[in-house]
Amino acid sequence: MTRLDVGPPVEKARTSRVSVTDLLAHRESGILIAFVLVFTVMSIISPSFRTPFNLTVLAKQMAVVTIMANGQTLVIISGAFDLSQSAVAGLTAMVAGVLWFNAGLDPVLAMILALLTGAAAGATNGILAARFKLHPIVMTLATSTMFTGLIFVITHGKPVIGLPTQLLWMGEASIGPMPVSVLIMLLVVAAMHILLTRTLFGLRVRQVGGNREAARLTGVNVHRIWLGVFIISATLAALGGLIELGRVGNAIPSIGITLLFPIITASILGGTLLSGGEGSMIGTMLGAAVLTVINNSLVILQVDIYAQSVVQGALVVVALIVDQFRRGQLTLRDLIRPEL
Amino acid sequence: MSNAVNQVTSFVAMRGISKKYGNVRALSNVDLSVDSGRIVSIVGDNGAGKSTLIKVLTGAVSPDEGHISIGGRQVEITKPSDAQGLGIAAIYQDLALFNNLDISENVFAGHELVRRTLGVSFLRRKRMAQEAHNLLTRLGITTLKSGRQNVGSLSGGQRQMAAVARSIGMNARVLVLDEPTAALGVREAESLLEQVRTLRDEGMAIVLVTHRIPDAMLLSDQIVVLKSGQVHGLLDPRQCQLDEVIELIVRGRS
Repeated sequence: MTRLDVGPPVEKARTSRVSVTDLLAHRESGILIAFVLVFTVMSIISPSFRTPFNLTVLAKQMAVVTIMANGQTLVIISGAFDLSQSAVAGLTAMVAGVLWFNAGLDPVLAMILALLTGAAAGATNGILAARFKLHPIVMTLATSTMFTGLIFVITHGKPVIGLPTQLLWMGEASIGPMPVSVLIMLLVVAAMHILLTRTLFGLRVRQVGGNREAARLTGVNVHRIWLGVFIISATLAALGGLIELGRVGNAIPSIGITLLFPIITASILGGTLLSGGEGSMIGTMLGAAVLTVINNSLVILQVDIYAQSVVQGALVVVALIVDQFRRGQLTLRDLIRPEL
Repeated sequence: MSNAVNQVTSFVAMRGISKKYGNVRALSNVDLSVDSGRIVSIVGDNGAGKSTLIKVLTGAVSPDEGHISIGGRQVEITKPSDAQGLGIAAIYQDLALFNNLDISENVFAGHELVRRTLGVSFLRRKRMAQEAHNLLTRLGITTLKSGRQNVGSLSGGQRQMAAVARSIGMNARVLVLDEPTAALGVREAESLLEQVRTLRDEGMAIVLVTHRIPDAMLLSDQIVVLKSGQVHGLLDPRQCQLDEVIELIVRGRS
């Protein structure tokens, strides 16, 4: 067969030696550098930052955010958003508490049923997004309000206290020096990383998020993929809720309510493209790490509580600007010559 | 009628296809026959029904009436995966490639190589990358670094070849091309058309939708002229002039 000339040759194959530019081109390298930087600086300037106690607290906070943000990242990669995650986390924690306290169920059974409640909440989101074709952002905002309302319907706003150790185990216990929640986080990240990069389902998610029409023409059942994605997202939110329950110690109706912003921030910091198609579970974990370290530093450095919000918000704005550069929607020239 | 026999034996036979969008008749009672090892071009003005007709064949659009047979067997094509299952591959005008995925993931899109472990389908990534690389080498593309390169970084011609490789990779027996050269430079377009000829010679039944009438004249074994959703002519490009084809496209059958 004749050799066909199809455009200019692409970059020639390099030797197997890995160069610094190769490493920097890696999706997770930016956030890894950021993490090493903030962690090193804080370790040097603050002795109270580097105490084992503080680092354990940090790791546990990070675990909840990472687990839930992994679900969020999957949803964003598929081209949608799940704003109901924190409500699902709260609902799950309260269902577990109420099933144990009011229904007298075995704590383990209560946790399993609570996780299934979370999955069912995700299925609701998935069906509304896929079958009814509702816009994911507004739809999950609406279901979020529904789930939060359900918490108060179930509990009448009352907390469940004096929970048994089994219910608190995931968020409270340690195996040796390793908090159980961190162990669960590592397992979740590993499983989600494999799901996204090595399985057919993960590829389908990237196809749907990258080019939905092409996915449809390729024969991908977009509805089924979205359904799966929302169920996974809500199940991870539910898992996060149960860990948060152990971390907090009591089932209070407002549990998990502040988690949504850190989750989305972690996902964006981790390099998830907001337009869909690309993202990384390991990057998301590093994003959660950076975020948690910064939040922790602000407390340790006794930054004014209101100023902390300014910093946290600014962090997301910076991440969004970086996202614009990565998508090629913004160049340095655009900034220098804004009239164009 | 001379092509009555042809209609019975054609590998692809679409009969009496009609499709309405609201009050607009996109297709009315259209027949299309394509044999293995032949190229049939569909030409016509904008809105003539070309895209709708091939979308019916590729399962992207469901017809209101009519039936399709492939290899002499009547088939139901209601969604893209039905068409793929029957060995019908499509290369669309806008390519329908995934810029966020690598070459091998694009080449194998919709028919990935998987290994099932514990009920989960795992991608056979190494084998897919290797086979994608082999396919592209077979297509004469030797400038690519590996099958793991992102499609978003390729040139227009390379992207088209990735799309062609996809249809070969799925062992397609029917290839549908919708304006494949529209976004290509002259040399890239020539390369692609050369490749289409090779696939025809290997026995594929090929349907080509194009605005470039000279391409259709040069390449195809038969030209179907559509106007206002109806067939206005079946022409043999070796026995007609360019002017005749254009006349039919513009004025229709008088």
